[in-house]
Amino acid sequence: MQITEEMSMNIIEELNGNIENIALKLRGFIRDQVTGFKKKGIVIGVSGGIDSAVALTLCVQELGKENVHGLLLPEEESAPSSKTLGAEICESLGVSYEEVPISPILRSLNIYDKKEQIIKRVCPEYDIRIHKTSLVLPDFLNTGSLNVPYIRLVKNNETIGKYRLKATDYLELIGLQGVKQRSRMLVQYMYAETLNYAVCGTTNKTEVVLGQFVKYGDGGVDLEPLADCYKTQVYALGRYLDINKEIMKRPPSADTWSHYTTDEEFYWRMPIQIMDQMLYAQEHQLPLQVIEKSTGLSRETIEKAQKHIHRIRNNTEYIRAAPPVCYINR
Amino acid sequence: MEQIKNDIVDYLKANSFMDNGSSLKDNDSLTQNGIIDSIGLLELMDYICEKYSIEIPEDMLTPENFDSLQGITNMITKLAK
Repeated sequence: MQITEEMSMNIIEELNGNIENIALKLRGFIRDQVTGFKKKGIVIGVSGGIDSAVALTLCVQELGKENVHGLLLPEEESAPSSKTLGAEICESLGVSYEEVPISPILRSLNIYDKKEQIIKRVCPEYDIRIHKTSLVLPDFLNTGSLNVPYIRLVKNNETIGKYRLKATDYLELIGLQGVKQRSRMLVQYMYAETLNYAVCGTTNKTEVVLGQFVKYGDGGVDLEPLADCYKTQVYALGRYLDINKEIMKRPPSADTWSHYTTDEEFYWRMPIQIMDQMLYAQEHQLPLQVIEKSTGLSRETIEKAQKHIHRIRNNTEYIRAAPPVCYINR
Repeated sequence: MEQIKNDIVDYLKANSFMDNGSSLKDNDSLTQNGIIDSIGLLELMDYICEKYSIEIPEDMLTPENFDSLQGITNMITKLAK
Protein backbone atom coordinates (compact mmCIF):
# COMPACT_ATOMS: atom_id res chain seq x y z
CA MET A 1 0.00 0.00 0.00
CA GLN A 2 1.26 3.51 -0.87
CA ILE A 3 2.02 5.77 2.09
CA THR A 4 -0.47 8.47 0.99
CA GLU A 5 -3.13 5.82 0.50
CA GLU A 6 -2.38 4.41 3.94
CA MET A 7 -2.64 7.82 5.63
CA SER A 8 -6.15 8.41 4.32
CA MET A 9 -7.27 4.92 5.21
CA ASN A 10 -10.45 4.29 7.17
CA ILE A 11 -9.97 1.02 9.02
CA ILE A 12 -13.68 0.27 9.39
CA GLU A 13 -14.16 0.67 5.64
CA GLU A 14 -11.25 -1.73 5.08
CA LEU A 15 -12.85 -4.24 7.43
CA ASN A 16 -16.22 -3.91 5.73
CA GLY A 17 -14.83 -4.31 2.23
CA ASN A 18 -14.62 -7.28 -0.13
CA ILE A 19 -17.29 -9.19 1.79
CA GLU A 20 -18.70 -11.10 -1.20
CA ASN A 21 -15.27 -12.57 -1.94
CA ILE A 22 -14.69 -13.37 1.72
CA ALA A 23 -18.02 -15.23 1.87
CA LEU A 24 -17.06 -17.25 -1.22
CA LYS A 25 -13.65 -18.05 0.20
CA LEU A 26 -15.16 -19.20 3.50
CA ARG A 27 -17.64 -21.43 1.69
CA GLY A 28 -14.82 -23.02 -0.29
CA PHE A 29 -12.88 -23.51 2.95
CA ILE A 30 -15.84 -25.25 4.61
CA ARG A 31 -16.25 -27.64 1.67
CA ASP A 32 -12.51 -28.38 1.46
CA GLN A 33 -12.25 -29.12 5.18
CA VAL A 34 -15.32 -31.36 5.34
CA THR A 35 -14.20 -33.25 2.23
CA GLY A 36 -10.61 -33.38 3.48
CA PHE A 37 -11.74 -34.95 6.74
CA LYS A 38 -13.94 -37.36 4.73
CA LYS A 39 -16.99 -36.24 6.66
CA LYS A 40 -20.55 -36.09 5.33
CA GLY A 41 -21.63 -32.80 6.79
CA ILE A 42 -21.46 -30.34 9.66
CA VAL A 43 -22.67 -30.23 13.24
CA ILE A 44 -22.79 -26.73 14.66
CA GLY A 45 -23.82 -25.26 18.00
CA VAL A 46 -26.31 -22.46 17.37
CA SER A 47 -26.28 -19.86 20.14
CA GLY A 48 -28.59 -17.19 18.79
CA GLY A 49 -25.56 -14.96 18.26
CA ILE A 50 -24.11 -13.48 15.10
CA ASP A 51 -21.05 -15.77 14.81
CA SER A 52 -22.95 -19.04 14.79
CA ALA A 53 -25.67 -17.53 12.57
CA VAL A 54 -23.08 -16.54 9.95
CA ALA A 55 -21.17 -19.85 10.17
CA LEU A 56 -24.42 -21.84 9.96
CA THR A 57 -25.63 -19.88 6.93
CA LEU A 58 -22.32 -20.36 5.08
CA CYS A 59 -22.35 -24.10 5.85
CA VAL A 60 -25.93 -24.43 4.55
CA GLN A 61 -25.16 -22.41 1.41
CA GLU A 62 -22.15 -24.55 0.63
CA LEU A 63 -23.15 -28.03 1.77
CA GLY A 64 -26.94 -27.91 1.48
CA LYS A 65 -29.43 -27.89 4.34
CA GLU A 66 -29.64 -31.69 4.39
CA ASN A 67 -25.96 -31.93 5.36
CA VAL A 68 -26.00 -29.57 8.33
CA HIS A 69 -27.32 -30.29 11.83
CA GLY A 70 -27.82 -27.51 14.36
CA LEU A 71 -27.67 -27.95 18.13
CA LEU A 72 -29.25 -25.60 20.63
CA LEU A 73 -27.38 -26.14 23.89
CA PRO A 74 -29.01 -24.00 26.59
CA GLU A 75 -28.46 -24.16 30.34
CA GLU A 76 -30.14 -22.64 33.40
CA GLU A 77 -28.41 -19.30 33.10
CA SER A 78 -28.82 -18.85 29.33
CA ALA A 79 -30.95 -15.95 28.15
CA PRO A 80 -34.31 -17.30 26.82
CA SER A 81 -33.71 -15.35 23.58
CA SER A 82 -30.64 -17.52 22.81
CA LYS A 83 -32.87 -20.52 22.27
CA THR A 84 -35.63 -18.74 20.36
CA LEU A 85 -33.23 -16.92 18.02
CA GLY A 86 -31.20 -20.12 17.50
CA ALA A 87 -34.35 -22.06 16.60
CA GLU A 88 -35.54 -19.26 14.32
CA ILE A 89 -32.40 -19.23 12.20
CA CYS A 90 -32.34 -23.03 11.90
CA GLU A 91 -35.97 -22.99 10.80
CA SER A 92 -35.47 -20.16 8.34
CA LEU A 93 -32.61 -22.08 6.71
CA GLY A 94 -34.56 -25.34 6.82
CA VAL A 95 -31.86 -27.30 8.66
CA SER A 96 -32.59 -30.07 11.13
CA TYR A 97 -31.88 -29.08 14.72
CA GLU A 98 -32.30 -30.33 18.25
CA GLU A 99 -32.32 -28.79 21.67
CA VAL A 100 -30.00 -30.56 24.11
CA PRO A 101 -29.96 -28.74 27.47
CA ILE A 102 -26.57 -29.06 29.17
CA SER A 103 -27.91 -28.20 32.65
CA PRO A 104 -28.04 -31.90 33.73
CA ILE A 105 -24.31 -32.24 32.98
CA LEU A 106 -23.59 -29.06 34.94
CA ARG A 107 -25.78 -30.16 37.85
CA SER A 108 -24.07 -33.55 37.99
CA LEU A 109 -20.78 -31.72 38.57
CA ASN A 110 -22.35 -29.31 41.11
CA ILE A 111 -21.37 -26.37 38.93
CA TYR A 112 -24.35 -24.19 39.94
CA ASP A 113 -23.99 -24.92 43.68
CA LYS A 114 -20.26 -24.26 43.64
CA LYS A 115 -20.77 -21.04 41.71
CA GLU A 116 -23.42 -19.91 44.20
CA GLN A 117 -21.06 -20.59 47.10
CA ILE A 118 -18.29 -18.48 45.57
CA ILE A 119 -20.66 -15.60 44.81
CA LYS A 120 -22.02 -15.73 48.38
CA ARG A 121 -18.46 -15.63 49.70
CA VAL A 122 -17.71 -12.55 47.57
CA CYS A 123 -21.09 -10.78 47.97
CA PRO A 124 -22.56 -11.73 51.37
CA GLU A 125 -26.04 -10.36 50.58
CA TYR A 126 -26.37 -12.49 47.44
CA ASP A 127 -29.66 -14.34 47.27
CA ILE A 128 -30.05 -16.51 44.19
CA ARG A 129 -33.84 -16.08 44.33
CA ILE A 130 -33.76 -12.33 43.90
CA HIS A 131 -30.39 -11.39 42.43
CA LYS A 132 -28.80 -11.95 39.06
CA THR A 133 -25.05 -11.78 38.61
CA SER A 134 -22.45 -11.07 35.99
CA LEU A 135 -18.68 -10.99 35.75
CA VAL A 136 -17.38 -7.65 34.51
CA LEU A 137 -14.16 -5.74 33.91
CA PRO A 138 -13.83 -1.96 34.20
CA ASP A 139 -14.23 0.04 31.02
CA PHE A 140 -10.75 0.60 29.59
CA LEU A 141 -11.02 3.73 27.48
CA ASN A 142 -12.47 5.87 30.28
CA THR A 143 -10.58 4.42 33.25
CA GLY A 144 -7.36 2.95 31.82
CA SER A 145 -7.48 0.58 34.76
CA LEU A 146 -6.11 -2.93 35.00
CA ASN A 147 -7.93 -6.13 34.05
CA VAL A 148 -9.47 -6.59 37.49
CA PRO A 149 -12.62 -8.73 37.53
CA TYR A 150 -15.71 -7.83 39.57
CA ILE A 151 -18.93 -9.64 40.35
CA ARG A 152 -21.87 -7.37 39.63
CA LEU A 153 -25.03 -7.96 41.64
CA VAL A 154 -28.24 -7.05 39.84
CA LYS A 155 -31.76 -6.75 41.25
CA ASN A 156 -34.73 -5.90 39.02
CA ASN A 157 -32.30 -4.99 36.22
CA GLU A 158 -30.44 -2.47 38.40
CA THR A 159 -26.86 -2.89 39.58
CA ILE A 160 -26.88 -2.87 43.38
CA GLY A 161 -23.25 -3.78 44.03
CA LYS A 162 -19.86 -4.53 42.54
CA TYR A 163 -17.31 -6.71 44.32
CA ARG A 164 -13.69 -7.27 43.41
CA LEU A 165 -12.79 -10.94 43.07
CA LYS A 166 -9.80 -12.46 44.81
CA ALA A 167 -7.48 -14.44 42.55
CA THR A 168 -8.50 -17.80 44.06
CA ASP A 169 -12.23 -17.06 43.65
CA TYR A 170 -11.71 -15.82 40.09
CA LEU A 171 -9.76 -18.92 39.10
CA GLU A 172 -12.38 -21.21 40.61
CA LEU A 173 -15.18 -19.34 38.82
CA ILE A 174 -13.39 -19.49 35.47
CA GLY A 175 -12.89 -23.23 35.93
CA LEU A 176 -16.59 -23.72 36.71
CA GLN A 177 -17.79 -21.47 33.90
CA GLY A 178 -15.56 -23.24 31.37
CA VAL A 179 -17.46 -26.47 32.02
CA LYS A 180 -20.38 -24.89 30.16
CA GLN A 181 -18.51 -24.51 26.88
CA ARG A 182 -16.73 -27.82 27.41
CA SER A 183 -20.05 -29.62 27.96
CA ARG A 184 -21.30 -28.17 24.68
CA MET A 185 -18.19 -29.53 22.99
CA LEU A 186 -18.93 -33.05 24.35
CA VAL A 187 -22.49 -32.95 23.04
CA GLN A 188 -21.43 -31.62 19.63
CA TYR A 189 -18.94 -34.47 19.19
CA MET A 190 -21.47 -37.05 20.34
CA TYR A 191 -23.73 -35.91 17.49
CA ALA A 192 -20.92 -35.40 14.97
CA GLU A 193 -19.54 -38.91 15.42
CA THR A 194 -22.99 -40.47 15.24
CA LEU A 195 -23.69 -38.68 11.95
CA ASN A 196 -20.12 -38.92 10.62
CA TYR A 197 -20.07 -35.10 10.45
CA ALA A 198 -17.38 -32.59 11.41
CA VAL A 199 -17.88 -29.99 14.15
CA CYS A 200 -17.81 -26.42 12.87
CA GLY A 201 -16.46 -23.75 15.22
CA THR A 202 -17.71 -20.18 15.40
CA THR A 203 -14.76 -18.35 16.96
CA ASN A 204 -13.85 -15.11 15.18
CA LYS A 205 -10.44 -13.49 14.79
CA THR A 206 -11.03 -10.88 17.52
CA GLU A 207 -11.67 -13.75 19.94
CA VAL A 208 -8.70 -15.77 18.72
CA VAL A 209 -6.24 -12.88 19.01
CA LEU A 210 -7.51 -11.95 22.48
CA GLY A 211 -7.78 -15.56 23.70
CA GLN A 212 -11.52 -15.05 24.20
CA PHE A 213 -12.61 -18.66 23.98
CA VAL A 214 -12.46 -21.74 26.16
CA LYS A 215 -9.65 -24.13 25.33
CA TYR A 216 -11.27 -27.47 24.42
CA GLY A 217 -14.65 -25.79 24.92
CA ASP A 218 -15.84 -23.60 22.08
CA GLY A 219 -12.23 -23.89 20.85
CA GLY A 220 -12.63 -27.69 20.57
CA VAL A 221 -13.83 -28.09 17.00
CA ASP A 222 -12.73 -29.52 13.63
CA LEU A 223 -12.73 -26.34 11.55
CA GLU A 224 -12.85 -22.61 12.28
CA PRO A 225 -14.10 -20.77 9.18
CA LEU A 226 -14.41 -17.39 10.95
CA ALA A 227 -11.09 -17.44 12.78
CA ASP A 228 -9.48 -15.00 10.34
CA CYS A 229 -12.47 -12.61 10.29
CA TYR A 230 -12.57 -9.83 12.87
CA LYS A 231 -15.92 -9.45 14.63
CA THR A 232 -16.61 -6.34 12.52
CA GLN A 233 -16.17 -8.50 9.41
CA VAL A 234 -18.56 -11.09 10.85
CA TYR A 235 -21.15 -8.31 11.13
CA ALA A 236 -20.46 -7.32 7.52
CA LEU A 237 -20.93 -10.96 6.52
CA GLY A 238 -24.16 -10.99 8.53
CA ARG A 239 -25.47 -8.01 6.56
CA TYR A 240 -24.38 -9.59 3.28
CA LEU A 241 -26.05 -12.91 4.19
CA ASP A 242 -29.19 -11.10 5.37
CA ILE A 243 -29.09 -12.56 8.87
CA ASN A 244 -32.14 -11.99 11.08
CA LYS A 245 -32.15 -8.39 12.35
CA GLU A 246 -32.74 -9.48 15.96
CA ILE A 247 -29.54 -11.52 15.87
CA MET A 248 -27.63 -8.65 14.23
CA LYS A 249 -28.81 -6.18 16.89
CA ARG A 250 -28.15 -8.43 19.88
CA PRO A 251 -25.07 -7.41 21.88
CA PRO A 252 -22.50 -10.23 21.65
CA SER A 253 -22.17 -12.32 24.80
CA ALA A 254 -20.84 -15.67 26.00
CA ASP A 255 -24.25 -15.89 27.75
CA THR A 256 -23.01 -17.82 30.77
CA TRP A 257 -24.15 -15.49 33.57
CA SER A 258 -27.68 -15.08 34.93
CA HIS A 259 -27.52 -11.35 34.08
CA TYR A 260 -26.84 -11.03 30.35
CA THR A 261 -23.22 -9.85 30.17
CA THR A 262 -21.94 -8.40 26.93
CA ASP A 263 -18.49 -9.17 25.52
CA GLU A 264 -17.76 -5.46 25.85
CA GLU A 265 -18.39 -5.65 29.62
CA PHE A 266 -16.39 -8.81 30.13
CA TYR A 267 -13.49 -8.90 27.78
CA TRP A 268 -13.09 -6.13 25.23
CA ARG A 269 -13.54 -3.24 27.70
CA MET A 270 -14.15 -0.95 24.74
CA PRO A 271 -16.60 -0.87 21.81
CA ILE A 272 -15.93 -3.60 19.27
CA GLN A 273 -15.41 -1.06 16.46
CA ILE A 274 -12.51 0.41 18.43
CA MET A 275 -11.08 -2.95 19.49
CA ASP A 276 -11.12 -4.29 15.93
CA GLN A 277 -9.49 -1.14 14.56
CA MET A 278 -6.77 -1.45 17.17
CA LEU A 279 -6.20 -5.13 16.33
CA TYR A 280 -6.22 -4.48 12.58
CA ALA A 281 -3.79 -1.59 13.00
CA GLN A 282 -1.48 -3.77 15.06
CA GLU A 283 -1.65 -6.60 12.52
CA HIS A 284 -0.88 -4.24 9.62
CA GLN A 285 1.54 -2.05 11.61
CA LEU A 286 -0.36 1.10 10.73
CA PRO A 287 1.08 4.44 11.87
CA LEU A 288 -0.40 6.21 14.89
CA GLN A 289 -1.79 9.04 12.76
CA VAL A 290 -3.94 6.57 10.82
CA ILE A 291 -5.29 5.04 14.03
CA GLU A 292 -5.96 8.50 15.50
CA LYS A 293 -7.87 9.58 12.43
CA SER A 294 -9.77 6.34 12.04
CA THR A 295 -10.77 5.82 15.70
CA GLY A 296 -11.03 9.45 16.84
CA LEU A 297 -9.02 8.54 19.94
CA SER A 298 -6.14 10.59 21.32
CA ARG A 299 -2.57 9.45 20.81
CA GLU A 300 -2.20 8.84 24.55
CA THR A 301 -5.31 6.63 24.72
CA ILE A 302 -4.20 4.66 21.66
CA GLU A 303 -0.78 4.01 23.16
CA LYS A 304 -2.33 2.85 26.43
CA ALA A 305 -4.79 0.63 24.55
CA GLN A 306 -1.97 -0.87 22.47
CA LYS A 307 -0.07 -1.80 25.63
CA HIS A 308 -3.25 -3.22 27.15
CA ILE A 309 -3.91 -5.37 24.07
CA HIS A 310 -0.29 -6.48 24.00
CA ARG A 311 -0.63 -7.65 27.62
CA ILE A 312 -3.82 -9.58 26.82
CA ARG A 313 -2.14 -11.30 23.87
CA ASN A 314 0.81 -12.31 26.01
CA ASN A 315 -1.39 -13.52 28.83
CA THR A 316 -3.51 -15.68 26.54
CA GLU A 317 -0.79 -17.45 24.55
CA TYR A 318 -1.52 -20.63 26.49
CA ILE A 319 -5.14 -20.64 25.35
CA ARG A 320 -4.18 -20.52 21.66
CA ALA A 321 -1.34 -23.03 21.96
CA ALA A 322 -1.76 -26.56 20.67
CA PRO A 323 -0.26 -29.14 23.06
CA PRO A 324 3.50 -28.95 22.51
CA VAL A 325 5.05 -32.22 21.36
CA CYS A 326 8.51 -33.41 22.31
CA TYR A 327 9.79 -34.81 18.97
CA ILE A 328 12.37 -37.50 19.58
CA ASN A 329 12.96 -38.74 16.04
CA ARG A 330 14.01 -35.51 14.32
CA MET B 1 9.67 2.53 52.03
CA GLU B 2 12.66 0.16 51.80
CA GLN B 3 10.86 -2.41 53.95
CA ILE B 4 7.88 -2.37 51.59
CA LYS B 5 10.17 -2.84 48.58
CA ASN B 6 11.90 -5.76 50.28
CA ASP B 7 8.55 -7.36 51.15
CA ILE B 8 7.37 -7.09 47.55
CA VAL B 9 10.61 -8.47 46.13
CA ASP B 10 10.47 -11.40 48.58
CA TYR B 11 6.86 -12.03 47.59
CA LEU B 12 7.70 -11.92 43.87
CA LYS B 13 10.68 -14.24 44.29
CA ALA B 14 8.48 -16.78 46.09
CA ASN B 15 5.30 -16.43 44.03
CA SER B 16 6.01 -15.12 40.56
CA PHE B 17 8.12 -16.01 37.53
CA MET B 18 11.05 -13.98 38.88
CA ASP B 19 14.29 -15.91 39.25
CA ASN B 20 15.59 -16.11 42.80
CA GLY B 21 19.00 -14.97 41.69
CA SER B 22 17.89 -12.00 39.59
CA SER B 23 17.54 -8.45 40.80
CA LEU B 24 14.73 -6.00 40.12
CA LYS B 25 15.28 -2.31 39.53
CA ASP B 26 12.74 0.14 40.95
CA ASN B 27 11.22 1.01 37.58
CA ASP B 28 11.50 -2.35 35.78
CA SER B 29 8.17 -3.41 34.27
CA LEU B 30 6.78 -6.52 35.98
CA THR B 31 4.60 -7.44 33.02
CA GLN B 32 7.06 -6.67 30.22
CA ASN B 33 9.74 -8.67 32.01
CA GLY B 34 7.37 -11.63 32.31
CA ILE B 35 7.45 -11.54 36.12
CA ILE B 36 3.68 -11.45 36.54
CA ASP B 37 0.74 -12.19 34.26
CA SER B 38 -2.92 -11.25 34.73
CA ILE B 39 -3.51 -13.86 37.43
CA GLY B 40 -0.21 -13.00 39.11
CA LEU B 41 -1.41 -9.42 39.27
CA LEU B 42 -4.62 -10.42 41.07
CA GLU B 43 -2.58 -12.53 43.49
CA LEU B 44 -0.24 -9.62 44.14
CA MET B 45 -3.23 -7.34 44.87
CA ASP B 46 -4.59 -9.89 47.36
CA TYR B 47 -1.18 -10.12 49.04
CA ILE B 48 -0.87 -6.33 49.33
CA CYS B 49 -4.39 -5.91 50.75
CA GLU B 50 -3.81 -8.59 53.36
CA LYS B 51 -0.23 -7.74 54.30
CA TYR B 52 -0.86 -4.00 54.74
CA SER B 53 -4.54 -4.23 55.76
CA ILE B 54 -5.61 -1.85 53.03
CA GLU B 55 -8.37 -1.70 50.44
CA ILE B 56 -7.26 -0.51 47.03
CA PRO B 57 -9.88 1.81 45.49
CA GLU B 58 -10.87 1.12 41.89
CA ASP B 59 -9.30 4.34 40.59
CA MET B 60 -5.91 3.22 41.90
CA LEU B 61 -5.94 -0.10 40.02
CA THR B 62 -3.84 1.35 37.20
CA PRO B 63 -0.79 -0.02 35.34
CA GLU B 64 1.27 2.88 36.77
CA ASN B 65 0.55 1.68 40.34
CA PHE B 66 1.20 -2.00 39.72
CA ASP B 67 3.75 -2.43 36.97
CA SER B 68 6.89 -1.55 38.92
CA LEU B 69 8.36 -1.88 42.37
CA GLN B 70 8.39 1.92 42.70
CA GLY B 71 4.75 2.26 41.63
CA ILE B 72 3.61 -0.45 44.04
CA THR B 73 5.62 1.01 46.92
CA ASN B 74 4.29 4.53 46.33
CA MET B 75 0.73 3.24 46.22
CA ILE B 76 1.05 1.24 49.44
CA THR B 77 2.71 4.16 51.21
CA LYS B 78 -0.14 6.43 50.15
CA LEU B 79 -2.88 4.00 51.23
CA ALA B 80 -1.26 2.85 54.46
CA LYS B 81 -1.01 6.41 55.85
